[in-house]
Amino acid sequence: MSNRVVGQSVPKIDAATKVRGQRKFPQDFNMKGQLYAKVVWSEYPHARVLKIDVSPAEALPGVVAILTSKDVPVNEYGINIVDQPVLVGEGEKVRWLGDRIAIVIGESEKIAQEARQLVRVEYEPLPVVSDPREAMKPGAPLIHEERGDSNILKHVKIRKGDIEKGFAEADVVIEKYYLTPHVEHAYMQPEAGVGYIDEKGRVTVIAAAQWSHDDLHQISHMLDLPLDQVREIVPAIGGAFGGREDMYIQHLLALCAYCVRRPVKMVFDREESIRNTGKRHPYYMKYRTGATRDGKLTAVEIELISDAGGYASTSIPVLNNAASFAAGPYVVPHAKVDAYTVYTNNAVTMAMRGFGSTQPAFAYEMQMNKLAEALGVDPVELRMKNLLEDGSIALTGNPMPKGVGIKETLRQAALGAGWREEGDQWIKPDLGTPSAPYRRRGIGVACGYKNVGYSFGFDDKSKVIVELALDESGEVARALVKLGASDQGMGAHTALAQIAAEALGIDYEKVRVALVDTSVVPNGGSCSASRHVYMSGNAIIRACQEAVRKRQEALRTGERRVSVEYEYHGRSVRPTTPYDDENGMCDPHISYGYTSQIALVEVDVETGQTEVLKFLAAQDVGKAINPEMVKGQAGGGVHMGLGYALTEEFIQKEGLVKTRRFSEYHIPTVADMPREFIPFIVEVPDPTGPFGAKGVGEMTTLPTAPAIISAIHDAVGVWIDNLPATAEKVWWKMREKAGMA
Amino acid sequence: MWDEYLFPASLDEALEMLEAHGGEARIIAGGTDLVLQSQRGQCSAKVMVDITRIPGLDYIEERDGLIYIGAQVTHGQVAASPLIRSRAGVLAQGCGSVGGPQIRNVGTLVGNVVNALPAADGAIALFALDAEVEVAERAGRHWTPIATLYAGVGLCTVDPCAAMITQLRFRALGKGEAGAFERLAKRRALVLPILNAAAIVGLKGNKVERARIAIGPVAQTPFVAAEAAEALVGRTPDEDRISRVAQLAAQAAQPRDSLLRGSAEYRKVMAGVLVRRALWRAVEAASLQEGEDANS
Repeated sequence: MSNRVVGQSVPKIDAATKVRGQRKFPQDFNMKGQLYAKVVWSEYPHARVLKIDVSPAEALPGVVAILTSKDVPVNEYGINIVDQPVLVGEGEKVRWLGDRIAIVIGESEKIAQEARQLVRVEYEPLPVVSDPREAMKPGAPLIHEERGDSNILKHVKIRKGDIEKGFAEADVVIEKYYLTPHVEHAYMQPEAGVGYIDEKGRVTVIAAAQWSHDDLHQISHMLDLPLDQVREIVPAIGGAFGGREDMYIQHLLALCAYCVRRPVKMVFDREESIRNTGKRHPYYMKYRTGATRDGKLTAVEIELISDAGGYASTSIPVLNNAASFAAGPYVVPHAKVDAYTVYTNNAVTMAMRGFGSTQPAFAYEMQMNKLAEALGVDPVELRMKNLLEDGSIALTGNPMPKGVGIKETLRQAALGAGWREEGDQWIKPDLGTPSAPYRRRGIGVACGYKNVGYSFGFDDKSKVIVELALDESGEVARALVKLGASDQGMGAHTALAQIAAEALGIDYEKVRVALVDTSVVPNGGSCSASRHVYMSGNAIIRACQEAVRKRQEALRTGERRVSVEYEYHGRSVRPTTPYDDENGMCDPHISYGYTSQIALVEVDVETGQTEVLKFLAAQDVGKAINPEMVKGQAGGGVHMGLGYALTEEFIQKEGLVKTRRFSEYHIPTVADMPREFIPFIVEVPDPTGPFGAKGVGEMTTLPTAPAIISAIHDAVGVWIDNLPATAEKVWWKMREKAGMA
Repeated sequence: MWDEYLFPASLDEALEMLEAHGGEARIIAGGTDLVLQSQRGQCSAKVMVDITRIPGLDYIEERDGLIYIGAQVTHGQVAASPLIRSRAGVLAQGCGSVGGPQIRNVGTLVGNVVNALPAADGAIALFALDAEVEVAERAGRHWTPIATLYAGVGLCTVDPCAAMITQLRFRALGKGEAGAFERLAKRRALVLPILNAAAIVGLKGNKVERARIAIGPVAQTPFVAAEAAEALVGRTPDEDRISRVAQLAAQAAQPRDSLLRGSAEYRKVMAGVLVRRALWRAVEAASLQEGEDANS
């Protein structure tokens, strides 16, 4: 089947208006008579609030209101577990720096800013728990006394086969401990927005959000209002990466509007955004991997401990995901996994590109590369012997659904990097001459896979309305797609418009995707889990097919409008199931994307500094709806993975944040990106995906760090098992190896 | 933030404005640091006196073997200047390492000096070049060695609320002379250095006639490793000698443990690495120069 629109790199639907500066982002909205709000943040990572004195602030001319916990109708929220106070009141505890004591509302931003510094808060500091391994121990200070006698939020167990037997069969066993750090999402646009009461009296929020329909539930609970009395509008979003899945400003804007009945604007500056919003979970990972002499995996034993920070957020679903991917995209007959997520007083941790599949990818790929070294086998060859195929039994006992493209991604990346395939053997390329006598070259390989859609029995669904306007002759003049799917900047609306155009048989230019306004569009589900192309794409295809049928009717009746609503459920094609309590067996995910990456680096043996010269990234997306956007996701994912591998350090000391600016928290610049970047689009279709498509948004980050770290090892012979591999860290390891430290 | 923003038309007017506001006004040029400091409440000046529209402060020129750089000249202009690149390449390299392109296109080299930070890439190169600075006050103008401006981290002896630096000068590198700049940082742009180093070498025959080494940030002010440089003078600059001199420089440097920059031990060793590389590149460039007419 040849497609007219799907598979074409059409321009992004919002590119022109963004380039011209016409498209509004949340901080661009201003309303008549608007007030300004500022948050009074916690000063301690763990303390009891003894006294809040707002009177000096209230006395400042121009201050309209100061909201404290007493002003919140139902003072609690949380995306997964309702364990967060909106505002922390007297006698209550702050559990991390991002807790809020009060919101100051004034006639100008300057007044609100001045007034917030006048709010006096007395604290009784409590012991700070900053290491989840300490927090797990009996007797550790409790973060949430109201939730029982342990800081452990969740323990996931997987028992597959017979672990003793598996290790007895192994000729080689690799046992190592890995640590991945906190990561800041670092989206371009800090939190901002306006809250107001709309013409129908609804509490309305204009802000960036990943799942506005879920925000509504949380806001209606907080304000004790029926769902139809709250509304969220999502304009252009300056990036999210998971960081806007939880509410960080939406509920505060709603509360302000609800309390003062006037428009209220709030904008976080970068320091507020870095200090007080969620991060990627740090994972502490113990891995023991066994294999036979000829390179077949026999067993893996894994312990994962994740740092949830002060509140649960999505730490449990992230842990569920991490555990299900812990063995990597390999067939492992015998496995034992114990995964824990634990409250601490560190930054709250949450969804971030990969949703728990990123952290174990570092560990399982490091294990594979160490295994390859121990066995004296090429790392590509070792993987080819163990990678999943259609029908392979995964870690959780389920057969892999059709469309497993992992081997093809590795084959294309390896051939692209210069590997030679000779029968079953793979032969590493010559790496060329280093650019300086004190530099060494190395190459590293890594794979990864990631679920598409919500998992573990969750009824993941997307509802869409497709409206057609017909011209005089009955042809489709315009099509409007309405669904609550936020476009964070990655191009979801473009891909969905392409799918609609293809399904309707009309030009891409005739399709519009409605602005996300919960009073107008139906619930498309979260803009996360790489899911919109798959879930909403499937909904759109079906709605469009129905619209095409209805158009035939309209041609007979002379009707000029056609409207169809359709809700697609993932379980209609692939039902998923939750973990079995005892052995963890389940069918966890709906669909999967696969990826392999290869890094060529040079390491300075005197300074420890790494430069990534060349990077190859192959992603199996089933079908590239828009190839340029797939390449964009690959570039963005690798950029994020490169920061994870080499430069990004979110430093906290006893719960206090030491890196609060971009001059201190170092995301890679364009100058740090590989000089040569080669993306490969692999298309092994998932028969249940729209046009065979899966998802691409997250998986491109997974193999980047292990590929780079393995390349460093190839260059200078040291393994960096805790990220990032800063120059100094590599230098100390080299000294250790040389017997100098 | 400030209350008033002024554009003087001449140097005298700028100084009058400073005097008229009695310590409440200060000079601003590129503003890449000052605007941030002002936003963060770290600069109390109520009035900004912007010198970027004063005619005649935008030159990079050579007179009688000295290179003069006016107060309006940006890092980007220094880095791109053919004169600087051929006669003071170390400074072009230093200025080319500051911040990112946007900052280099706005921030001035004189501003880099006024900030008095021991890590400033432009200033480290100027220390290696043994630059002088012209200070203009109501009482008149005078030249002073660059080192006399530095009283501590971020402390400049020229009070920007009462005086201004009008220009810089240093001797153009000639026949048999060359310099080089080295930098180690957490990423490749927009970041303060873990360490930086600048070296100048003058050769006569196969012997070093003149050498100067500057390192930052390893002390309260840019650090000149004078004894180490002295150990190179009169010697043949072979690999061994350069390594030994670099070791001397590293021993004299006093980097501290820094959460963001790294451990003192690492940085001390790195000081030696950077100085060695800078010296080696300077010697190589100087040997090439020696055979040629340096002005060509």
